[in-house]
Amino acid sequence: MRDILYVDMATLSTERKPLPEKWSRYAGRALTDAIVYDMVPPTCDPLGRGAVLVFAPGLFGGTSAPNGGRLSVGAKSPLTGGIKESNSGGQAAHALAKIGLSAVVVTGKPADPLARFMLSIEADGSVKIERVDGWAGLGNYAVADAIKALRPADDHYATITNGPAGEAGLKAAGIAISDMKGYPNRFAGRGGLGAVMGSKGLKAIVVSDKGLKGVEHADKEAFNAAMKRFAKALTDHPVSGVGLPTYGTNVLMNILNEAGGLPTKNFSSGHFDDVEGVSGEKQREVTLERGGNVKHGCHTGCVIQCSRYWVDKEGAYVTKGPEYESAWSLGTDCCISDMDTVAALDRLCGDYGLDTIEMGATLAVYMDSGKIAFGDGPAAIKALKSIFEGGEPGMVLGHGAEATGLAFGVDHIPVVKHQAMPAYEPRAVQGIGVTYATTPMGADHTAGYTITANILGVGGTVDPLKTAGQAELSKNLQIATAMLDAFGLCIFVAFPVLDIPDAFVAIYDMAAAHTGQAWDTDELMKLGREVLTFERLFNTAAGFTAADDRLPAWMKTVPLPPHNTVFEVTDAELDSVFDFVPETAKEMGLL
Amino acid sequence: MKVDVALFAYLSDHQPDGLGGRHARAFDLADGTRVADVIADLALPDQPRIVFVNNRHAAEDSALHDGDRLAIFPPIAGG
Ligand code: SF4
Repeated sequence: MRDILYVDMATLSTERKPLPEKWSRYAGRALTDAIVYDMVPPTCDPLGRGAVLVFAPGLFGGTSAPNGGRLSVGAKSPLTGGIKESNSGGQAAHALAKIGLSAVVVTGKPADPLARFMLSIEADGSVKIERVDGWAGLGNYAVADAIKALRPADDHYATITNGPAGEAGLKAAGIAISDMKGYPNRFAGRGGLGAVMGSKGLKAIVVSDKGLKGVEHADKEAFNAAMKRFAKALTDHPVSGVGLPTYGTNVLMNILNEAGGLPTKNFSSGHFDDVEGVSGEKQREVTLERGGNVKHGCHTGCVIQCSRYWVDKEGAYVTKGPEYESAWSLGTDCCISDMDTVAALDRLCGDYGLDTIEMGATLAVYMDSGKIAFGDGPAAIKALKSIFEGGEPGMVLGHGAEATGLAFGVDHIPVVKHQAMPAYEPRAVQGIGVTYATTPMGADHTAGYTITANILGVGGTVDPLKTAGQAELSKNLQIATAMLDAFGLCIFVAFPVLDIPDAFVAIYDMAAAHTGQAWDTDELMKLGREVLTFERLFNTAAGFTAADDRLPAWMKTVPLPPHNTVFEVTDAELDSVFDFVPETAKEMGLL
Repeated sequence: MKVDVALFAYLSDHQPDGLGGRHARAFDLADGTRVADVIADLALPDQPRIVFVNNRHAAEDSALHDGDRLAIFPPIAGG
């Protein structure tokens, strides 16, 4: 049973319908894209009545597929103006899938802009929308506590919550998903989807899977056999079996620094002298000293377990991670080398419901205006708080790096399609520049993570400082990633999948055994191309042109130390990345 | 010749002074020493590695030169 739950916030009514046959092979990002493509007028106001917000577990949601419980959240992005799939860990995807839901589609908006609602989806499939006006303005952690107080003590549920940033319609607002302990610390962070949720008056979604078993398979034995092969590949590969579980994502800080590709001081250098304080190794040492947890999964069934909790000097929980992207954005890019300061900023972002990548890049742009100094942690905390507490610089910060740069006269703004770049410098890692420029998501590393071959020697090697092979590398990774996002697989499975051929086979063996459909290499790649085709067509209809598939002009003229290189991949190469779209669109019957 | 050697993640336990840490130590090496020779002397575990000489990826058979910085990482990734 795979159904869609439609929730109309204008009439406060819900309707559960079977998944249309045409989407029977879609889940996760493929399904959020298909629904947004189908239902959302590309030129609509992303916070208006016609906007739609979709939550979809991947195809492996609700199963024991290793690392298969990721959630896709889709909408038209208020930040980029294009289609968005924001991907998150946490417990919600498994819970939705176990209830038999392949998507929750939220439409319309309530007449009263001050009304706040909680949507509860119970294990027996019953659904309720309640007013929670008193929760207006509450941070994600307080909302999680308020929900807990309402639920039976023996319940088992996940939360999807929206902080004050989303309620205020800020373009850097993300949506929080609860982890295995119930902390609202996993995020569909990018692209301002919290603002879409806020525009619908939706403060929280609770999904209870109490007592529910895993989703049934067409062929259980075959599924279990393939699942074991996949799990073995994840634990055998040194990156997913040792590196990630030991140090977490922030193990990257030192290696990007060594490669001269670590964006520092608002993307003005590729090297941070004070990197040690925010490095993954140091983070592990301090966390262990303080008695924090350094290895757990963000959702049930993760075998890699790259998550960790940062605790204060007394050993009390502060926030998750911080992940590499957050330690970089709130630390390195702002020249802040103290992890307690980074964690304080991370916690504020998490509670307000703000994307840490966007906000770190934003603070660095603000520092570049000279209003506060690079490296001044207390001033950064004060600036972040000013969004909600008033004073300088105030609310504009919550609209992200570009809005802040324009407001304060900074001409060095690292964005593509209005979204801030993550933790890799395109002038020193040319391949990631291709992904930032071309992905329909706006600057996004996860869309086609060329750091694999450019820096880490996974899935081959492509010299990061040369242009040769970068467009092809990015294209292939963008297709493969779109496929993984449709299956609900964490993209970190890509490291073993790129190196161990049987891990790739195990994915389609699991898919075939789970669904009873035929899946093979061609079908996986076709799925990836179809996902990207929905996205490209939506963006074109929304008004995007080739000019939007470009890095900021200064990245082609201002050399980046220490390599003193500029971004040199040609426009023609960038424009070749999506050469498959017209043909795929025809095959899909979309053109 | 003098070469600065930095070891990262769990490889830092292999620094000859036994002090760990990611800071580089100055090694006195014979002329013509290759990256692979340093790896053998340090008894690094037998697994793939990511090697940088002066911030560029380097092959393990490449020769080191006076004043170089050598940085070695175990197989790692994140995102
Ligand atoms: S590897 Fe990390 S991000 Fe991926 S599913 Fe596990 S805990 Fe979540």
